Amino acid sequence: MQQYVTLKIDNARVKAVKGASVLDAAMASGLCIPHLCYVPVLKASGACRLCIVEVVDNGRTKITASCTLNAEDGMVIYSNTERIRKLRKNIAELLVAQAPNSRAVQDIAVRCGVKEVRYPFRNDNCIQCGRCVSYCTEYSKANSLGFVGRGKNRHVEYPLGFRRDLCKKCGFCTEYCPMSVTPCGGPMKAGEGRLCGNCDSQIAAMEHFSGICVRCELGKGFKCVRQTYV
Amino acid sequence: MHKLKSLNNLDSLRKKLLAERKRARATIVICGGTGCQASKSPEVIAAIKKEITGQEMEKKVHVRATGCHGFCEQGPIMVIEPGNLFYCHVKAKDAKEIVAKTVKNGEVIERLLYTDPVSGKKVRTEAEIPFYRAQDRQLLNHNRSVDPCAIEDYIAIGGYAALAKTIAGIEPEAVISEIKASGLRGRGGAGFPTGRKWAECAEAPGDEKYVVCNADEGDPGAYMDRCLLEANPHLILEGMMIGAWAIGAFTGYIYVRNEYPLAVQHARIAVEQARKLGLLGENILGSSFSFDVEVARGGGAFVCGESTALMASLEGKVGEPRAKDIHTVKDGLWHKPTVLNNVETWANVPSIILNGAKWFAAKGTKNSKGTKIFALTGQVKNTGLVEVAMGTPLNKVIFDIGGGSKNGKAIKAVQTGGPSGGCLPVGKFALPVDFDTLNEAGAMMGSGGMVVMDEGTCMVDMAKYFLNFLQDESCGKCIPCRVGVDRMLEIITDIAEGRGSREQIALLEELADTVSATSLCALGKTAPNPVLSTLRYFPEEYAAHVDHKKCPAGVCKALISYSIQSDKCNGCGSCLRACPHDAIYGRKKKVHIIDEKKCLRCGICVGECKFAAITVS
Amino acid sequence: MTALNSILKGRRSQPHLLIEVLQDAQDLYGYIPEEAMNAVSRELGVPLMKVYRVACFYKAFSLKPRGKYVFTVCTGTACHVRGANLLLDQVKGQLNIEPGETTEDGLVTIENVNCVGACALGPVVIQDGAYCHHMTPGKLRKAIDKSRGKKKKERAHA
Repeated sequence: MQQYVTLKIDNARVKAVKGASVLDAAMASGLCIPHLCYVPVLKASGACRLCIVEVVDNGRTKITASCTLNAEDGMVIYSNTERIRKLRKNIAELLVAQAPNSRAVQDIAVRCGVKEVRYPFRNDNCIQCGRCVSYCTEYSKANSLGFVGRGKNRHVEYPLGFRRDLCKKCGFCTEYCPMSVTPCGGPMKAGEGRLCGNCDSQIAAMEHFSGICVRCELGKGFKCVRQTYV
Repeated sequence: MHKLKSLNNLDSLRKKLLAERKRARATIVICGGTGCQASKSPEVIAAIKKEITGQEMEKKVHVRATGCHGFCEQGPIMVIEPGNLFYCHVKAKDAKEIVAKTVKNGEVIERLLYTDPVSGKKVRTEAEIPFYRAQDRQLLNHNRSVDPCAIEDYIAIGGYAALAKTIAGIEPEAVISEIKASGLRGRGGAGFPTGRKWAECAEAPGDEKYVVCNADEGDPGAYMDRCLLEANPHLILEGMMIGAWAIGAFTGYIYVRNEYPLAVQHARIAVEQARKLGLLGENILGSSFSFDVEVARGGGAFVCGESTALMASLEGKVGEPRAKDIHTVKDGLWHKPTVLNNVETWANVPSIILNGAKWFAAKGTKNSKGTKIFALTGQVKNTGLVEVAMGTPLNKVIFDIGGGSKNGKAIKAVQTGGPSGGCLPVGKFALPVDFDTLNEAGAMMGSGGMVVMDEGTCMVDMAKYFLNFLQDESCGKCIPCRVGVDRMLEIITDIAEGRGSREQIALLEELADTVSATSLCALGKTAPNPVLSTLRYFPEEYAAHVDHKKCPAGVCKALISYSIQSDKCNGCGSCLRACPHDAIYGRKKKVHIIDEKKCLRCGICVGECKFAAITVS
Repeated sequence: MTALNSILKGRRSQPHLLIEVLQDAQDLYGYIPEEAMNAVSRELGVPLMKVYRVACFYKAFSLKPRGKYVFTVCTGTACHVRGANLLLDQVKGQLNIEPGETTEDGLVTIENVNCVGACALGPVVIQDGAYCHHMTPGKLRKAIDKSRGKKKKERAHA
C-alpha cells in the first residue's frame, strides 16, 4: 500500500506519495515551481537552483532546492515569497545572460520576472542543465555524454572527446535540450539589455495567479512535465 | 614486535619502552616536516647521522627526525636534549661542529641560536622564544617527541592509552556524552558540534557505518592538518578508533590531498605499524572491537574538502557535491551513515577521553572550547603554526606571537578562513578568535589559515584573487556557483581595471547575496565572503578604484605605471636583465628607461633594483 | 601494457579504486594515455565516460605528456601575498607559455597549484618534486635557464 504524507506548500495542504520530492508534490497539485534541470523520470541533481523554496524548520527558514528535498509530514514550504522571487529572478537573469538566444531560457527568465539583463551577453549554446547527460547515463545507459572539466571550463563532451560510437541514438539528449527549442524571433544582441518581449503576455498571468502553472510556450517544444500534471 | 593481545600487553610495552629511554641518552631532534625539508633538513639529518656513526656514538646519541615543530620560518630546526637547546637555520656543514662541541662537550654554538627580534638577544631554548612562549600547545607539543614513522615513540609518550581506557570500560554512549560535554566543535570550518554529529550517526539505522578523516586541506594558507598528520599520525588514528567505537564503525578512511605526499606516506606507515601491533584489525587488544583504516589519496580538487564531494571521491567518482537535505551522518559514504571529521578534530579526541571533558572545556570561550591551531603566514615576522586557546585576541596572535609587520609597512588586515572566510581590518584585531565572533564579523574560522596583509596589498585585488581561485576550483555543477562567481569575477575585474561604476558595486552585492543563498554546497554558499568582507571593511579602496581609477596599494596593473628615477639609477642593468618582457632599455652606466608600451606592469624590476630607483605611481 | 597490468593487479572490477589506479598510471607514464583509459575502463568495469571525467576533473592527472622539467608555482594565498604572481609573470614572459602548458621543445612544463602547505616559506616553487622556498623572479629565471641548458640570458646591454 502506498503511503502518503501531508505538507503545506504556500499555505495549501498538499498530499504527496511518501518519498516524492517537494517539487513533485507541488506539481502534482497544480502549483508550478519554475525549474529547468529537473525531469520527473530522472534523478534530481539540483543543478539549476531555479526551484528553490523556503523551508520552515523549528521556526528558522532555510532556502533549498525543492527537487532534491523529500516531502515529509508536516513540512511547511513557501515557494513564492518575495525573497525567493528575487533570488530566482537573479538566477534566471544569470541564465539568460549566458544563453540569450534560447527560447526556453528566455521563457523561464520571463516567468521568473526578468525584464532587464544587467550582465554582458555571452552567446553560449549550453547552460549545462544536464538533461542530456542524465538521459544518456540513467535512462539509455549509453554513457556517451558527460560533464568534463570543472568550474568555468566544465562542458558536455563525448568520452575522450571523440568517441561518438558509444551513442545509442535514442535522441533524448536533443529532444530534452532547452537549446533545441527553436530560437525565438527577437534574438538578443550583446549590450541590448532587454528580452525580446514575445513572451511578455505571460507576465500578466504570473502576476495574477502566482504559483499556478501558466502553460508557457516552453511547454510545447521543451517537453514540459507540467502539462501531464495540470 | 609482537602483536598486543590485551590491555596489559600495551601497558607493559609502554613501561619497557620508557625504561629503555630512561637510560639517559642525548637526543638530537631534527625537524623533517615539509617546511624544513624545503630548507634542506634531510641533508642535515644525513650529515648528523654520518657524523655520529663516524665518531661511534650511536649508542650514546639518538637522532630523531620528527614532523613539523611549527616555526617553519627558522628551519631547519634542531633541538638537543637534555637541555632543550634550540638551534635554527642549521646547515649540513654545521653537523661536525654540533657533534664535536655541543653533543660531546655541552658547548653552545652562539651562531646557531635564535635571536629575539625585539631585544636582539640570543635565546637558548624554545621556552624562551616569544613565538613559542605565548602559545598553548596542546596538540603540537607532542610533535618533537615523536618520530612519525615509529609507533614506539607514540606509545612511549602515552599514546593509545585513551583507546585502552575506552575499550576497558567506556560504553559508546558514554564516549559520545563525554565528547558532547567537552564542547568540541569541528575544526574544519563550520564548527559543527562533534558530539552531536556522533550521536546522530550512532542513532542512524544500519549496521555498516564509516568514520572518515578529512585531510583534504584545500584552504590556501592553512597547513595544520598536514603538519599533524605528517608529524603524529598515530594521534589521528587513535582519535578515529575512539570515534569508530562510539558510533559502531568497522572501517575508516583517511582522505589525504594529493599535494601532501609526505602525509600520505606517514599515514600509510602508521596504519601498517598499528596493524602489526594489533591496534588495528580484528579484536583490537583482545577485545571484541574490530576496526581498520585505509588511506586514500585525493586527486587534487579544492571542492573535495566538502563532505559529500569527498565521499564521492572516495567512491572513485568525480568530486561533485550533492544536495545534503539528508545529512551524511545518515546517508554518507556508499549511502551508509558516516562521521566525517577533520584531522585536527580527531586529534583532539584522545586527550578529551584521557583527561575528561572538564579539562578540555576549561580552555576557550562560552561556545568554542579548547585550543585551535592557526597557520600564521603572510607579511609577519614569525610565520608558522600557532596553537592558542579559543578566544585569544587576533592582536596577540599577530603581534605578540607573529612579531608584527615583516618589512616595516603597516599591517592592514588579516584574512582568516581561506576562500570561504573574510578579511578583517586592524580595527577588529581586538576581537577574540572563536567560531561565532568571526562569523559575526563576516569572516570565518575555516580551517585556521591567517594570512596577514600590509599596506602593499590591495583589497580589491585580494577579492579578485579569491574569486579567481573559486571559479577555478568550483566543480561547476550548480548555476549560482559556476556562473554567479564567474560574473562576480567579471565585475571585480572591471573594477580592478578602472572600468567599474557605483552601479556595478551594487550589482556585485546583490549577486553575492544570490550566490550565497542559493548555491548547492558550502563552497558556493561561502564563495562571496571575501568580496562581502572587503566591501564591508574597505569601501574606500573600492571607491578609489571606481571613482578615481586609482589603486592605493599600487597593485592593480591597469591603474599603475612604473618609472625609473633618473637621480637614483646608475645604469647597472640588473632591471634590464630581469625584465621578462624586454620592456627596459638603456646603455651601460646610463639612466635606463621603461617602455610603457611593452611594460606589462609585473613589477619584477622593482625587486631587482638595488638602488630603489624604480617607483610605482 | 605489462606495466599497466601490474597496476591493475588485485584491483580489477573494483570501480571505487579508479582514482588510485589513475594516480599510479600518471606516475608510470607521466600522463594518462588514451590506451590506459580504455584499459582501466575495461578492467575496473567503469564506463569510459566516467574514467575520462575523473581524469579531466582532478588536477593530479594530465592528458598530455609533461615536459622533462616540471616547475610548479604555488599560488596559495600566503604565496600570493608575497608575490607569487610575479613568478607567473616571469614564466609567461620568459617561456611564452601559460601555466599548464609545456614549451615547444618539450623541456619545461609550468604548472600552478593552489597551495602546497608550505605557506610559511612562500613564495614556493616545486622543481621536479623538490620544494624551493622564498622564490624570487630572479631565482626562478636562473633555475629555468639552467634546466634549458642556457647559462646566461642572451640579451644584455645593447
